[in-house]
Amino acid sequence: MIDCHTHWGRAWTERDGLDPRRWLEPLTAHGVQRAMVMPEEGLLDAGRIGRDNDRVAAVCARSDGRMIPCCTVNLWMREEAARETRRCLGDLGMRGIKFHPWLQGGSVSSPLMDEVCELAAEYGVPVLFHDGTPPFCLPSQMALLARRHPGVQIVLGHSGLFEHWREAIAALKGTPNLWGCLCGPHVAAMREIVRQCDLSRLLWGTDHGYGLADVYQYRFPLMDTLRLSDAARQAIFDDNPARLLRGPASASKIR
Amino acid sequence: MVIDSYTTPGTERETALSAGELLKAMDRAGVERAVIAPQDREIAVRHAEGNDRILKLASASGGRFIPACSVSPWRGEEGLRLLREASRCGAKMLVLAPMLQGFIPTDEIADPLLKLAGELRMPVYVHTGPHSAGGPTQGVLMAEAHPGTNFILGHCGSTDHAWDMPVILQRNRLPNVWYEASLVRPWAVPGYLKAAGSSRIIFGTAMPRNDMEFELAQLRRLLPEEEHPDVYGGNLARLLGEGA
Repeated sequence: MIDCHTHWGRAWTERDGLDPRRWLEPLTAHGVQRAMVMPEEGLLDAGRIGRDNDRVAAVCARSDGRMIPCCTVNLWMREEAARETRRCLGDLGMRGIKFHPWLQGGSVSSPLMDEVCELAAEYGVPVLFHDGTPPFCLPSQMALLARRHPGVQIVLGHSGLFEHWREAIAALKGTPNLWGCLCGPHVAAMREIVRQCDLSRLLWGTDHGYGLADVYQYRFPLMDTLRLSDAARQAIFDDNPARLLRGPASASKIR
Repeated sequence: MVIDSYTTPGTERETALSAGELLKAMDRAGVERAVIAPQDREIAVRHAEGNDRILKLASASGGRFIPACSVSPWRGEEGLRLLREASRCGAKMLVLAPMLQGFIPTDEIADPLLKLAGELRMPVYVHTGPHSAGGPTQGVLMAEAHPGTNFILGHCGSTDHAWDMPVILQRNRLPNVWYEASLVRPWAVPGYLKAAGSSRIIFGTAMPRNDMEFELAQLRRLLPEEEHPDVYGGNLARLLGEGA
C-alpha cells in the first residue's frame, strides 16, 4: 500500500530532527508500506526551499526506502527554480515535484511551469498539485497543463476537494495523463469519482505529516465507507501508485 | 440529546436520500434529531417547492426532523413572502448557499432577507468554503452588518480557510455567530472549540455527502459527547429557541 499524499512538516523536524521513525509509526500500524513525501516548509517559505528539499531527501534516505522524496520549487525564483529542480531530481534523486500554487503564489499556467514539466518528463517523475481552491488551484488548470505535457503524469492531490470535485471528474475524464488522489472530497464525491473516472488513474492519500495527528484513524475508515471492490482497492491503494512511480501510465481500465 | 445540524434528504445526485434512510442512519448513529434542508436545485431555484417538501417531511417525522428553508436573495420581495410563509408553516432555519445562489455574502442584495430572518427569530445557516462567494471572513462581515440576526457559519470554511478560522474565533467573535463543523477535518475541531468556547461550536454531518455514523464516531473520539453536550445539540437547541 502506498500513500500518495504526505508531507514532512515543520512540527516533525522540530520534534524529531531528521529521524523518520515516529513519522513512520502510524504507517506501520495501519499497514502502509510506502509514502510519497512532500515538503511543507518549502511550500510556505520560498527562501527555505533548498533547505527543506535537502531535509526531505535526508529524512527519506533514512527510511529504508519507505519514504519516497518529492521536492518543490517556487516559480517566482525563475532560473533558480529550474536549477533547483535539476538538483533535486538529479543530485538528490527525488521522485516527484509538488506545487501548492495558492500557497506559493504562482499560476499553473505560468511558462515556468511548462519548463518544470519538461524537466519532469526528462527525469520521468510525476508533478503533484494541491487542487480544489481558486484562483490558482483548479482541476481544469491542471488538466490544461497536463494536455500541454502529455508525457508527464500530473496528479490532482485532492481530486477537487469539496467544491470542485465535479470539475475534477471532467478534468480526469478528458485527460489521460491526469491522476486523481482521493484525499479530501467527501464520501459522496469520492463515490462519484470512482464511478465515473478511469480507475487506473485514481490514487489514495492522507496528508499525513502536515501536523502531528494520526490522520490514518480518519482516512482509512473513511475509505471503508466507499465499500470498494477488492479490485478497486488493489488498484487505488497499490497498483496505481506503483505504476505512477514507475513512469508513464498504461491506458488499461479496471472495472 | 444529539442533534445533527445539517442534513439533506433529497432526490437528486449526491443528496439522494429518503426520509426513512435518514431516520435509520440517525438511529444507528445515536442521533435523536436532525435539521433537514432543501437540496441543491431547491436552494438554487425551486425555493417554494423545496421548502414545501422539507416541511412535509418534518411534519411526518414525529418531531425528529427540524425543517430548514431556503430562499435566494435575488427573489427580492417575492423571496420575503416565501420566507414569511415558510416560517409560518414551521421552518426553523434559513439556509443560504452564496456560491449556489450567486451572491457575495456582504452584498446588500441579501440585506432585506437577513433582516427579516432576524425579525422571525430564524437563524441563518450560511454555507462557507474555499470559493470567492462564501468565505468565512465574508460571513463575519455579513453578521456584523446584521446584529439582530443569528448566523451559523456552515463548515467553518472547510479546509482551505483553516488559517482564517483561528483569527475569526479569537479576534472577530461576534455574539450573533455560531460555527458549524461538518466538512471540517475532525482533528481541527478541538482547536476551534478551544478558541471559540464550547457555547459556539455546533456539530453537523452534511449527510448524505458524509456518512453520519462515521463522522459522529470520528468527532466523539476527539471530543467526548459527555464532556461537550452543548456541541452535540445544546447550542443548536438554544439557538432554535427549543431550550436544551
